[in-house]
Amino acid sequence: MSESFEPKIVAFVCTYCTYAGADLAGTSRLKYAPNVRIVRLPCTGRISPMFILKALQKGADSVLVSGCHPGDCHFAAGNYHARRRWTVFRALLAFTGIPEERIRFSWVSAAEGAKFADLINEITEDTKKLGPFTQYQELQKVIETQSSY
Amino acid sequence: MGIQEQYRSEAAALLSSGEVKLVIGFGPGSTADRRRPLFARTPEEAEKLVLDPACISNLTTYLVAGGLLSDGKKVAIFLKPDGIRSLNILVSECQVKPEQVVIFGYAIENNEIRPLSGRSIGDFAEIGSKIRTATPPPAVQKEAERLEAMSPAERFEFWKEQFSKCIKCYACRQACPMCYCRRCIVDVNQPQWVSTSSHTLGNFEWNLVRAFHLAGRCAACGACDRACPVNIPLRLINYRMGKEVKEAFDYHAGESSDQKPVLASFSQDDPETFIL
Repeated sequence: MSESFEPKIVAFVCTYCTYAGADLAGTSRLKYAPNVRIVRLPCTGRISPMFILKALQKGADSVLVSGCHPGDCHFAAGNYHARRRWTVFRALLAFTGIPEERIRFSWVSAAEGAKFADLINEITEDTKKLGPFTQYQELQKVIETQSSY
Repeated sequence: MGIQEQYRSEAAALLSSGEVKLVIGFGPGSTADRRRPLFARTPEEAEKLVLDPACISNLTTYLVAGGLLSDGKKVAIFLKPDGIRSLNILVSECQVKPEQVVIFGYAIENNEIRPLSGRSIGDFAEIGSKIRTATPPPAVQKEAERLEAMSPAERFEFWKEQFSKCIKCYACRQACPMCYCRRCIVDVNQPQWVSTSSHTLGNFEWNLVRAFHLAGRCAACGACDRACPVNIPLRLINYRMGKEVKEAFDYHAGESSDQKPVLASFSQDDPETFIL
C-alpha cells in the first residue's frame, strides 16, 4: 500500500514569490516529485482557510501554503496578515483534531527554486509515511442524528 | 428605589423626551425563570421592563439587526459586562457608532443585580480593561484542558460526535452579536464553500468556519452556546480561539472600543515558528 500510494498535494502559492520560485525550479531543470498541484493566487493574503478545508475535503492528502518572505510582499503587507490568520487557523485545526502535519506553511522567494523543489520532495515523502488522508472526507458518510442526545 | 424601577423611569423619560427611539431591555418570559427581549418604543411600554438575575442574554445582537441604527437616532440598551465588551468589538469594527447607544449597565453578582454607573460606552473603560485579568469559567477551562490532553485522533472523535448532532439551524449565528454579515458564507452557493447537506462533514465545515470567523472577536457571552438546541459545546472552541490570540498576539477581544481587530492588523514580529 505504502509503496503504491502516491499522495496528492495541493499548493496554494502567491504569484509574485513562490510561483516564480516554482517557475525557477522548472527552468533550472530541477527534478522534484510530481505529486503537487499548484494553485496560483495573487497573494497569500488572498488565501482563505476555506481553500485549505475544501482541498482536504476533495481529496488532498497534504496542503502547502506558501508566499513571499516577510517584508517582500508585492502588496506590502499581505503576508503579514496571512501569517496571523494561519497562526489562529492552526490552533483551530489542532483543537478539533485535524492533523496539523498535513498542512504546511512556508516562505519561498522567487530566487529559491531549489528550496521549492526540496520542500515538495520533503512533503511528498512525509505524506507517503502518513498515508492517505481519509479521516476528514469520510465524515461525508456520517449522517446526523446517529448519536443519542 | 430598586435598580429595576430606577432604570424603568429613566427609560420612560428618555422615550418621552424623544432622546431615544427605542429601549431594548428584558420583559417577562414564557416561564418564571426566563426573560425575553422587550423592545419599548413608548413610555408606557417601558413600564413593562424587567431587570433581575434571570436577565442573562446578550442584547447587543439586536443593535446590528437590519438597519436599526441607520437613521442616526439613538437607542438605549440593557447590557451586562460581556454585552459591553461585545459593543466594544462592534464599535471597533465600525458597525455601531458609540454616540448612538445609551447603556443601562448592570452586573449580576451572587444572584443580585448591581447597577453600573455611566450611560455611554466611554464610561465603561474599566470593564473592558478588566478582561486582561479576568479568569475564564473554571468548567470551560477544565474541559478545554481535558481535550488538549487527548491525542489528535481522540479530539477528532470528540468533535465528530458533537458536530454530528448539529442540525444546521444556525441559531448560533442568529444569537451572536458578531455574526452581522449581510451574506453569511454558509449562504453563498456559487461557489458553495460550506456543504449544506446533513452529513457531519458539512457540520464540521460550518462550525470550523464560524469558530475561525469569531477568533479574536468573541466576548465569551455564551449566547451561541445557550442558543444551540443540541448542546454542542461552542463555548469551548471559542474559548480556545480567544486563548490563542491572547497568547500569540496579546490581544483581548472587547478590551476597548478603539482597538484594531486582531486579524485585520499585524505586527512585523508576530510569531512564526511553524513556517518553513
